[in-house]
Amino acid sequence: MVYTSRISEKVSKKPKFSDRFLAVVKYELLWNIRKKKFLGVLIAAFAFSTLSLLLPVILSHAFGAPFEANPNFVIGRGGISSGFTLFLFALVSVMNSISGEFESGTIIPLVTKPVSRSIIFFGKVFASLLTISAAYSLLYAYMAIGGTVIYGPQNNLHLMPLCILGDLLSTFVWVSIVLALGSLSKNTILTAISAIIVFLAISISAPIVSVFSEGAWILNYVPGNGASGYVKGANQGMLPGTSVTTGTDSITSNLVRYILSPSEKVTYFKVEVGAGIKELYSEPLSTVLSRSMLVALAYITISTFTAWYAFKNAQVLE
Amino acid sequence: MDLAIETTDLIKRYGSIVAVNHLNLKVESNTIHGFLGPNGAGKTTTIKILVGLLKPDGGRVTVLGEEVQGDNPDVRLKIGYMPELPRFPKHLKGYELLDIYGKMYGISTQERKIRIQRVLEIVGLKGRERDFIGEYSKGMQQRLGIAQALLSEPELIILDEPSLGLDPAGMVEVRGVIKEIAKEGVTVFLSSHLLYEVEQVCSHVSIIHRGACLASGRLEEIIAKISGPVMLEVELAEESEDVFEVLKNLPFISKIQRENKTLIIKLETTDDVRPQISQAITKAGGIIVYMNMKRRGLEEAFMRLIMKS
Repeated sequence: MVYTSRISEKVSKKPKFSDRFLAVVKYELLWNIRKKKFLGVLIAAFAFSTLSLLLPVILSHAFGAPFEANPNFVIGRGGISSGFTLFLFALVSVMNSISGEFESGTIIPLVTKPVSRSIIFFGKVFASLLTISAAYSLLYAYMAIGGTVIYGPQNNLHLMPLCILGDLLSTFVWVSIVLALGSLSKNTILTAISAIIVFLAISISAPIVSVFSEGAWILNYVPGNGASGYVKGANQGMLPGTSVTTGTDSITSNLVRYILSPSEKVTYFKVEVGAGIKELYSEPLSTVLSRSMLVALAYITISTFTAWYAFKNAQVLE
Repeated sequence: MDLAIETTDLIKRYGSIVAVNHLNLKVESNTIHGFLGPNGAGKTTTIKILVGLLKPDGGRVTVLGEEVQGDNPDVRLKIGYMPELPRFPKHLKGYELLDIYGKMYGISTQERKIRIQRVLEIVGLKGRERDFIGEYSKGMQQRLGIAQALLSEPELIILDEPSLGLDPAGMVEVRGVIKEIAKEGVTVFLSSHLLYEVEQVCSHVSIIHRGACLASGRLEEIIAKISGPVMLEVELAEESEDVFEVLKNLPFISKIQRENKTLIIKLETTDDVRPQISQAITKAGGIIVYMNMKRRGLEEAFMRLIMKS
């Protein structure tokens, strides 16, 4: 038995940054794509996409209504995903990226390698970016093909990369929040539960605050759907226009809407019991969009910094 | 004296509990240094500080000439570390894990292939490298732990209870591996509660208790210092004054006690001097019927030291 070959190179020089970073990315990517939770959410997202493609066809058959081609089916929807889907992708991708390593003890061999904790942290974040980007790209491609087959040639498919970027920005608000919770708690269950509570609390309270109070502006500064408003167009229910939301989860839909109609304005309203809808104020869609993007970036920066700082200074006791 | 590890007044507290209490430790390069202590003595805490998993509350730590302060990957580049009961990501295959770790050390793709095969062979995991780690037994994970510590061919290998979870044959193999790597100029710092294992493989030991170092140095010297001198019992065919006089003048004998035909000889050295004593007795006309060297073991020394403290 020979331990060292001696003719082989000795590890004496500092490894390249790219080698160490890519090693962490590979480590995390292999984990992400083998996570049952992530695969489950991906399969569910494909199932929902299939349903949204087929449901109008099924309904038109069921009610005997003529089925019409819809060239805006894919891009006109303003993104493939609801806020809940974006949150789910974020949650299953990173809920145990940090905390799981501490719980299982796998953090010990990892952080005792010649790789700084910052590289480990950002390697993990980058791997989740790649994983979610791949998942969204597949979903958009599926919708584009399915939409073209079922609803005929589609308009504005060139906006798909922008839609993916918009969805990624929205998702990474939740990714960074979940990462921060994971780094601080070092407990996956606690991370998941607290993230779900935050998401549900915002999702449930936002429409109530938005529709029944005059303080809806505050929702523009919290993650999620944001405040409700409408842009002028075809009436939708009791609204004299098309309903829009203004939060970080709505970046893609507002981005598409802005590119297609840059001069649109968002009007905010309040529902007064017995008196109907009271218009509060209006602002350009460009303001809504740029504000939601800045808020998203602020959340990503602050939460990621918190997660990184907690991870970098964490002591491995167990 | 070239030191691989040096701690000066090292302190680590967990709340009100002092885990490491002004620990002064010196580990010479190119030695196999055993790190001993009862449960809760502070061995694992000290090791975790050495590899950067914990931050000390006071004192200074130097590993291979570089001060360990915060997150210092450059120091870890020269260290191979196997934690106590190592756990690895279950979603990775054994080969994938070693390949990723090798890349972190900056080892080229071609070289990684060679080294991975070599370390897998050394730890006896060849043929199982394509299995997921989740399918490995505890013993196999322990072997993988040793493999990943050897992968970078480090200057210093820190092993925390390397035999834990291994079957008897595995323990023997691990001891063989430790001796083999030490022959090639690698410093091995070994924490173990198996005293016979330390006695078999280590040239030096440090014994700690309640976070402080009680004794440190060459294994034989520590045993002799703690357990007292080596005793030699010699039974002669007949009582002989000449033999007594000759032995009395040997430089390495400090005291001789006579009990009829039996001599109880107290030695001043830890070396095996039986041939010299046998020769002296024969020259003086004595006939040896029985000779027994009562060398005290590490276990006795360890127990004495711990009880005393």
